[in-house]
Amino acid sequence: MDAFLYVGLPYLSLTILVVGTIVRFRQAPFSVSSLSSQVLERKKLALGTVPWHLGILVLLAGHLVAFLVPDIWRSLTANHAFLLTVEVIGFAAAAMAAFGLGTLVYRRLVTARLQAVTNRMDLVVLGLLLVQVLVGISVALSARWGAQWSAGTTSPYLWSLLTFQPDLTYVADLPPSVRLHLGLAWLTFALIPFTRLIHGFSIPLGYLVRAPQQVIWATRRRLARDTARAGGVSPETSRRHFVKGLGGLFAAGVLMSVGVLDKLVGYFKGQRLERSEQVDLLEKKLERLRATSEEQALELERLEKDAILVAQLGQLDPRQGRYFIDYQMRPALAFKGADQLPILISAKCTHLGCTVASDVNDKGQILCPCHISYFDIKTGAPNPGAPAKAPLPRIGWLLKDTKGTVVMTQDGAGNRTWPEGEDAIAPDALDGLQVWIAKRFEEGA
Amino acid sequence: MDVRAHVSMVFHLDKCIGCHTCSIACKNIWTDRPGAEYMWWNNVETKPGTGFPTQWEDQETYKGGWKIKGDRQLALRSQSKAGGLFKLFYNPNQPGLDDYYEPFTYRYGDLFTAPAGEDQPTARPVSLITGEPIDIEAGPNWDDDLSGSPVYAENDPNLDALTPDEKQALFDVEAIAMMYLPRICNHCANPSCVAACPTGAIYKRGEDGIVLINQDGCRGWRACVAACPYKKTYFNWKSGKSEKCILCFPRLETGQPPACFHSCVGRIRYLGVLLYDADRLTELATAPKESLVEAQRALLLDPHDPAVIAGAEANGVTPEMIDSAQRSPVYKWVKEWQLALPLHAEFRTMPMLFYVPPLLPVAGRSGAGVYGHTPDGLFTSIERARMPLSYLASLFSAGNTKVVEEVMKKLLVVRLHNRAKTVGDVSDEALQRAFREAGLTAAEADDIYALTALSSVDERFVLPPLQREEAIEPDHEPELHKGMAGLGVTRRPVRGG
Repeated sequence: MDAFLYVGLPYLSLTILVVGTIVRFRQAPFSVSSLSSQVLERKKLALGTVPWHLGILVLLAGHLVAFLVPDIWRSLTANHAFLLTVEVIGFAAAAMAAFGLGTLVYRRLVTARLQAVTNRMDLVVLGLLLVQVLVGISVALSARWGAQWSAGTTSPYLWSLLTFQPDLTYVADLPPSVRLHLGLAWLTFALIPFTRLIHGFSIPLGYLVRAPQQVIWATRRRLARDTARAGGVSPETSRRHFVKGLGGLFAAGVLMSVGVLDKLVGYFKGQRLERSEQVDLLEKKLERLRATSEEQALELERLEKDAILVAQLGQLDPRQGRYFIDYQMRPALAFKGADQLPILISAKCTHLGCTVASDVNDKGQILCPCHISYFDIKTGAPNPGAPAKAPLPRIGWLLKDTKGTVVMTQDGAGNRTWPEGEDAIAPDALDGLQVWIAKRFEEGA
Repeated sequence: MDVRAHVSMVFHLDKCIGCHTCSIACKNIWTDRPGAEYMWWNNVETKPGTGFPTQWEDQETYKGGWKIKGDRQLALRSQSKAGGLFKLFYNPNQPGLDDYYEPFTYRYGDLFTAPAGEDQPTARPVSLITGEPIDIEAGPNWDDDLSGSPVYAENDPNLDALTPDEKQALFDVEAIAMMYLPRICNHCANPSCVAACPTGAIYKRGEDGIVLINQDGCRGWRACVAACPYKKTYFNWKSGKSEKCILCFPRLETGQPPACFHSCVGRIRYLGVLLYDADRLTELATAPKESLVEAQRALLLDPHDPAVIAGAEANGVTPEMIDSAQRSPVYKWVKEWQLALPLHAEFRTMPMLFYVPPLLPVAGRSGAGVYGHTPDGLFTSIERARMPLSYLASLFSAGNTKVVEEVMKKLLVVRLHNRAKTVGDVSDEALQRAFREAGLTAAEADDIYALTALSSVDERFVLPPLQREEAIEPDHEPELHKGMAGLGVTRRPVRGG
């Protein structure tokens, strides 16, 4: 289902959009119009159409920038003031668009004259857009700072579609509202060539640069004279220039498509290589495979061990966490608590799975930068109102002395034991102890 | 010199009886279809009156035409270039349907199908848009013959030019004066609708100057509706495209005059070719207000001048077109006799439709039951005009009463000349004095009389062979073009979803 909604549907609707739009503009240009109904009703229209169009244009521009240049956008939105400004503008635009669209829907339903120019698709489009805007607003409200997190979630997803390497993992973990917003967007794209929405492709920017008067001549004589005045370039010459330019473009297009085709054919048929090259290639592959298997063996060995070394207790810091990888191959953080004993906590945010930062603030909290959730390192609990609702799981640990004897343990729930008795730990030797995580503290172990 | 040919028009208002035959001819051919019911590419207004759409002349509201910006630069009154893009969604200067009228028909069928009863069955009026019964509150000629009406005529924007005394005199009961003003698209030489079109769908045909809207190119942004100061582009609410008078170009191309010209019972309309200098357009369109009529006359070139002919030939104007220009009745009215004036020259669009202002409502002032134009008084009737010259000047000469007065004197002297011939009660001395004052000769007066009253259809309409079939050859294969529908439309024009 996901594969259809977020890979199949996008490609389908984008194909429909491109082909359908071109066909409609070429085959039925008469049908392309803004279909303004201002002459029939103007007061409510003014109240609706202006905020709607301004709002939606700002929103579309914002979505497009975040999608096109996610890296620049991410670095820009790292600045809190900038992020706040962008979000405020976004909310204002969304409010305008929703208000405008709502007015337009109301106007279309209650004005008798408009019934004469309303068809079923108009209502479908209006309804769809209204739902889409409202879903968009709910996304913005429930998953705050979308301007920031989109750069790491939806933008790579869109880029993965654009580069024909669709990657569903980016959308799989997104909240339902975001997924709905994406799905509706693809649906809307597919409807554009068949509805009044097509007028969005006829924004007359050329007006800014064209001459005020337009005169069209049908006779050849006149054309010849015009070009003679314009510096002696005859229509034949200018046509030749045009043909040449077209030829150049065509040649470039052919070259590009040859390149693309070559890649495609190569991809499906595989490359043809010299025998010696094939041998080299196979050897390199073998080398890589061996290296991979060694890595995986090491990893397996590590996982099969009863305990994994995290750090020396003396290396831990109360304000600066130390990252390590737990048994589930997830990031985790190690701190030194106020009682000089270690605090081990998962660093995978319980909201959307970002890695939580390692700096501890004055309240003893660490920050997930994606949606600004603060987690208490002692309890793992997020701050009230944070996007993350569940606490970060705490991780159990062992303390071993230099001889390898386990002197103290703490499981994930915080229960402590002293196998050698509480006195076995000398306070001054504490820093020399080693912190381990143990398999037996893992869930299900 | 950039000599271009222009199919131009003259309406002789003294002959207009306000019968609306022209409007109906046009309506039957072009605008009798859904979405276009409210359009009247040709309409006839009673002046003083508010016109169609209501108060279209009030550019403070509608912002049509051009204004002067800075040092004799032309700028659209309706929009700047960037500002035009912001008016795509909602154009505050576009008239609403109620500024025109809600198109209606009657349920004639009810007259036949009503059950037998006590009362006569009636045909109720229904809206052509909603199909619901409506109370008709306006129409395209709603203030027909309503000069003097405090609701309509008194709101005529042109009355601003009048003194309170003149206004009162104009609306004096039993002395009320009025005139008819038939209007079609002026096919301006400097059209503001073309300049306002964001998509560039409106264009002027180079060979004959007809202004057309490419229906395939129009995207319904409606900037032309706001920018046209004459409100002669209309938005089709059904197709979502703007439409306007096409000067019946399919008829012109087959050698027939436009339908409104052909059907005119008063024979007030004249059609012919003018040659004009497109290089001087901007310079002349920015002339001071009081000399705008003079500027427009200066735009027109003498078709007998060898230099003009050479320029026209070099410009690709066909010999047939030059020949039509030399025989053009329009050239005589506008340039030779200087009797025909552009409507509202102050809009600076250089309209190529000219009006001979009416003498009758001016001359008809009665004192003690006697009309004023006695041979002794000569021009006294103009001085004591029933319809003030300032009113006519507001319509036809951008407020310059001197221009209108000159026209009136000429029209009057043609009458005196003919009275001397037929009745013989005008002294020769007085007549000669009148000719001198009006700046006219007896031969010219005879010509004016002949073209006004005796002209045949071929003299009134000197149609150039437009040779479109030859003109399209460079772009279209004639054999293929033959299969197209009349207007080159190959696909049924239906509203898009």
